[in-house]
Amino acid sequence: MIPSLNVIFPKNLNEALSLLSDNSDSSKIIAGGTDIIPGLNQELNRFKEIKNLIDVNQIPELKGIIRSKEKISIGAAETFSDILQNDTVRELFPLLWKAASGVGSVQIRNRATIAGNFVNNAPCADSVPALLIYNATLEIESLSSKKEISLNEFLSAPYRTKLNRDEIVTKINIPFADKNFTGEFFKLGRRRAVAISRITLALLVDWRDSVINEIRIASGAVTPIGARFFELEKYCSGKKADDQFKKDLSRKLAEQIIKVTGLRWSSEYKLPVVQQVCYQMLKNIESQHEYGI
Amino acid sequence: MSEEFSVVGKKIIREDGVEKVTGRAKFADDYKFPGMLHAVMVRINEAHAKINEIDFSALENEPAVSIVSASDVHGSKKVGMIKNDQPVFCSEKVVTPGDVVAMLVGESESKLRSLLPEIKIDYTPLPVLTDPEKSLNKNSVLIHPETGSNLIVHHPLRKGDVEKGFEESDEILEQTYKTQLIEHAYIEPEAVVAIPLGFSEGIKIIGSIQNPFTARKFVANVLNYPLAKVRVQQAHLGGSFGGKDDTMCILSARAAVAAIKTNRPVKIKYTREESVLESYKRHPYILKYKVGYNLNGKIKAMKIDILADGGAYASMSPFVTWRSVVQASGPYEIENVQTDVRAVYTNNPYTGAMRGFGSPQPIFAQESLMDEIASRLGISPDEIRRINGFKNGSVTATGQILKDHDVNLKKVLDVACGNTDFITKWKSNRDQKIFSLKYDPSNPILKDNQFIDPPENIRKGIGLAVSFRGCSLGAEGIDAASAYLSVQNDGSIYLDCGLAENGQGLRTTYSIIAAEVLGVSAEKIIYLELDTGITPESGPTVASRATLMGGSAVKNAAEILRDRLINLIKEEFKLGGEDVISFRDDLVFSRKKGLITKFTDLCKLAASRGINLSAIGWYKSPKVDWNEENGQGDAYFTYVYGCQIAEVSVNVSTGEVYIDKVTAVHDPGKVINKLGAEGQVYGGVTQGAGYGIFEEVTADNGFIRELNFDTYTIPTSMDIGEIKPVFVEGKENYGPWGAKSLGEPTLELTAAAIANAVSNAVGRRFYSLPLNLEEIILNKKLRPAGTKRGSSL
Amino acid sequence: MKMKVEFKLNGANVSVFAEPNRRLIDLLREEFELTGTKEGCGVGECGACTVLMNGRAVNSCLVLAVQAAGNEITTIEGIANGDLINPLQKNFLEFGAVQCGFCTPGMVLSASALLDKNPDPTEDEIKEAVAGNLCRCTGYKQIIEAVKETARLSRKN
Repeated sequence: MIPSLNVIFPKNLNEALSLLSDNSDSSKIIAGGTDIIPGLNQELNRFKEIKNLIDVNQIPELKGIIRSKEKISIGAAETFSDILQNDTVRELFPLLWKAASGVGSVQIRNRATIAGNFVNNAPCADSVPALLIYNATLEIESLSSKKEISLNEFLSAPYRTKLNRDEIVTKINIPFADKNFTGEFFKLGRRRAVAISRITLALLVDWRDSVINEIRIASGAVTPIGARFFELEKYCSGKKADDQFKKDLSRKLAEQIIKVTGLRWSSEYKLPVVQQVCYQMLKNIESQHEYGI
Repeated sequence: MSEEFSVVGKKIIREDGVEKVTGRAKFADDYKFPGMLHAVMVRINEAHAKINEIDFSALENEPAVSIVSASDVHGSKKVGMIKNDQPVFCSEKVVTPGDVVAMLVGESESKLRSLLPEIKIDYTPLPVLTDPEKSLNKNSVLIHPETGSNLIVHHPLRKGDVEKGFEESDEILEQTYKTQLIEHAYIEPEAVVAIPLGFSEGIKIIGSIQNPFTARKFVANVLNYPLAKVRVQQAHLGGSFGGKDDTMCILSARAAVAAIKTNRPVKIKYTREESVLESYKRHPYILKYKVGYNLNGKIKAMKIDILADGGAYASMSPFVTWRSVVQASGPYEIENVQTDVRAVYTNNPYTGAMRGFGSPQPIFAQESLMDEIASRLGISPDEIRRINGFKNGSVTATGQILKDHDVNLKKVLDVACGNTDFITKWKSNRDQKIFSLKYDPSNPILKDNQFIDPPENIRKGIGLAVSFRGCSLGAEGIDAASAYLSVQNDGSIYLDCGLAENGQGLRTTYSIIAAEVLGVSAEKIIYLELDTGITPESGPTVASRATLMGGSAVKNAAEILRDRLINLIKEEFKLGGEDVISFRDDLVFSRKKGLITKFTDLCKLAASRGINLSAIGWYKSPKVDWNEENGQGDAYFTYVYGCQIAEVSVNVSTGEVYIDKVTAVHDPGKVINKLGAEGQVYGGVTQGAGYGIFEEVTADNGFIRELNFDTYTIPTSMDIGEIKPVFVEGKENYGPWGAKSLGEPTLELTAAAIANAVSNAVGRRFYSLPLNLEEIILNKKLRPAGTKRGSSL
Repeated sequence: MKMKVEFKLNGANVSVFAEPNRRLIDLLREEFELTGTKEGCGVGECGACTVLMNGRAVNSCLVLAVQAAGNEITTIEGIANGDLINPLQKNFLEFGAVQCGFCTPGMVLSASALLDKNPDPTEDEIKEAVAGNLCRCTGYKQIIEAVKETARLSRKN
């Protein structure tokens, strides 16, 4: 049973921010509600203190997908279905498109918003590795401030972020890459649809004459929260992309995961699988690159 | 003999279809009554504990809330399908976390739920027994001390001399198999309303009830009422698969007790979490097989030891394991068989009837074993089954001679192999390069030669499984059914049968049968709602017996009426006694004179002549017999045969199994309801596939981890490729036109066929269901500590 | 405190007062007695409670009643636009896509939302459209065929 609470429908951003600043301790933003509503219904501890839900679905400032010269800006309250219908996302950010397409079911994607996915910050949030790998940044506003920080910095711990209680994420900005990236997004669940991710991996590679110019690696569900592997990425640049490199990189990824996550009940399965998948993704990306796909 | 059918075997639209596609069909939770109260359950969050005191004093200021507990039960305090070991409300101890100690009854369900934390229960935790292999240890805690042992049942079977058989064998193979606990996962959670009808009439129950007559018996026992004072009406049932039997009987009884106490209608409606927590499930089995065979492929002896985890209550365990003892050595002629099947109590969720009913577990074991023997002998899977498989006149492990029907085992095997090009595919997959992916648990970092290059990570496999299955209840008990058929003056027809619709479409099948006999279109038949107050009792809708038993009763009723009409025609139209009258297309024909009259006109005539056009049809099964001591006898009066072939793609680097295709060849006897029969295959195979590759309820100290559909994953529309049903309609002396059973055979084979297909793909065998990600990669299951799962790492 | 909620329900403008903690599914079933919308899981996994919100399939157990304000909601009772059944529902019957029927309303609505925006779906698109609607009886095959046939017939006309 959902405990009794208020739901408020602000008509614009300023109204929403005022509401938040007045009752920040007991208020929470609701957009798609696909995490909050079942969470409230099951009386999860995470949602215990909520007295006011601030519904942001009618706030025009949080809507729209705008393409500018150097980036795409996605309104925080855009649903995954909206994102899937956007041509720019499909063509220029295919990993994000693929990640979005694997979120829940059609019914979930019709409600769930992109910001809700990473603000909730479950370890298995599918959009997170895809956004991390494209260096997404977030515009965050409160009544008194306005800032832009990287998603990587924003995510702090499972189900925790750096969002203050009086703040709202308004936009997600994703810069167009200045590199010639080829990439893949991989999701593994226990079944083919509507599955909680067991492993997600996102890879972007820019090769020049079989030498790695730049590589980006992000994961989900194998680390406590979705994460980039910057150290590993640095190690890769300038390396000759032969099979040995691909195997070494895959092993190093597993070592990094152990370092960040430690050994868990699932490690015996996940670690070898991550290495295989990383290696195979690199092989697939290479062949796409060769054929100029 | 080839019969011409007008309705049987044709595509006929479900009689309740329009109600269901428009959302008008009323399921249990859709019923509301003036003054209706709600009841919520009070539970102790323990798997095994002695109850000292339940303190409801915090509710003293809530006059609108009634407390219902064991002291309100005036009849049987304990109930059960076979043994009365399950309290309606626990008062002495709880033996599993789903147990209910009391109910709160009041107007607002949310208000009642909010009061639950106020109830203080003083209890003493008892040792928790979760390992069935420890159940029979001398020092193990007793779940039901009054029984003196944790043994629920032991079924022995002795045929020939296994030790002699092993001595005469060229080779011996021993393997242990394990199968998992699974949930029925009907999409409709349990709901029931009890309505008090006043002192003289008793009580009425409307609910998502699989077997209204069983529910009636439970309610009557618990209220201490005569059966006739309990009327159970079945609401549209949102799936059951064997699962809405005892659970619903007990919920009906609880609602009834509350309704009598408050003198108001009382509804119980479960959330999904409560449903998974409390309802019974499919038994996990541990199956030890020892088999002796000769180099020519002939099996000489089989020794089987099966342990079933019955969980906290006996439920249907004695019957579920009885089917296992009859069928555990498979559809094979084996001279020497020794089988022992035991079911034991633990503090785990309790287990009972589920579609398949004690057959999917041994089929997984025995069909895995047959493939392993074949591979040791260097012969193909179909060949080993041809060498040993049943044929007409074969003797089963229980000593029964298979006769009076086509023993079509080899035929279904041939048709399945022919349909799939089995041998060619099986051989070419077998000869693939094998990866020996033995990961070192102490060092998770891969070696150079362990990386797999795409697309070699995707391996194709094909595998088969065959089975025989006893139809209906067999020696479990009395097996009879009846039907009521009433033709109206205008030729429209009422039909009813005591076997309850479970969603599979039996009412449509019965309408088809009646329509065929009377030569009318199926839409003419109006099917009445099952109500124990008016419908004749017919035993439960279980054991794939509805078409065979209820169908025979319907046919009998229709034939009674048809014969009355024939007599009338012969008299009225002065036809000779030797003339043959037939009913077709709403018309009546004489062989000699052709068209005689319209069916509607005939009915009008019959009414005007005072002919009784209502009849009760009856069918009682032929005799079966069983010797409890040695497991010998004619266990079932007839059998069906099936062969399924699974084709899979296995990702050997992630452990994902995708089912490309399942070819399901079944001999159900005559197919009556074509759409329904195909639907049984699609649905049964899909459930079987879920059992094979990912469904599993796991528990930590008796507490279930997967309480909802986010973590208990059943197949979605995207999880299975093609399913191809093929029917081989063998001849059969019993059943309407020889129609037998299909619902359960479709499910029981799939997991076994998939396991054999996966082995064909990866060159390794698997001994534990489900073949989930971890099983494929590591040949074992991994479990998180505690009950957290889902997105946790 | 109850809030006034005005929205369009099966083509008609409606106005009710609802508690903010009430879910849309409860409002539909209890207030409007539209019991064709079913609850199977309460967490958005089974799709039995699917309704259309502005033409899109959503789980009504994951929408608050007050969030329906200003939107257009269609339930199974409103899908045939006043007729007894529409062509999609007819094909569900013709193809044997219904067994117990508990998932059927949600399934019909999901398929209907697909066909509205994609009159010529591939088999994979159909499977994806109904992947959020669990069915334990049918194995989905006859459902997929029914949707396919509906698309084929509507293209022909």
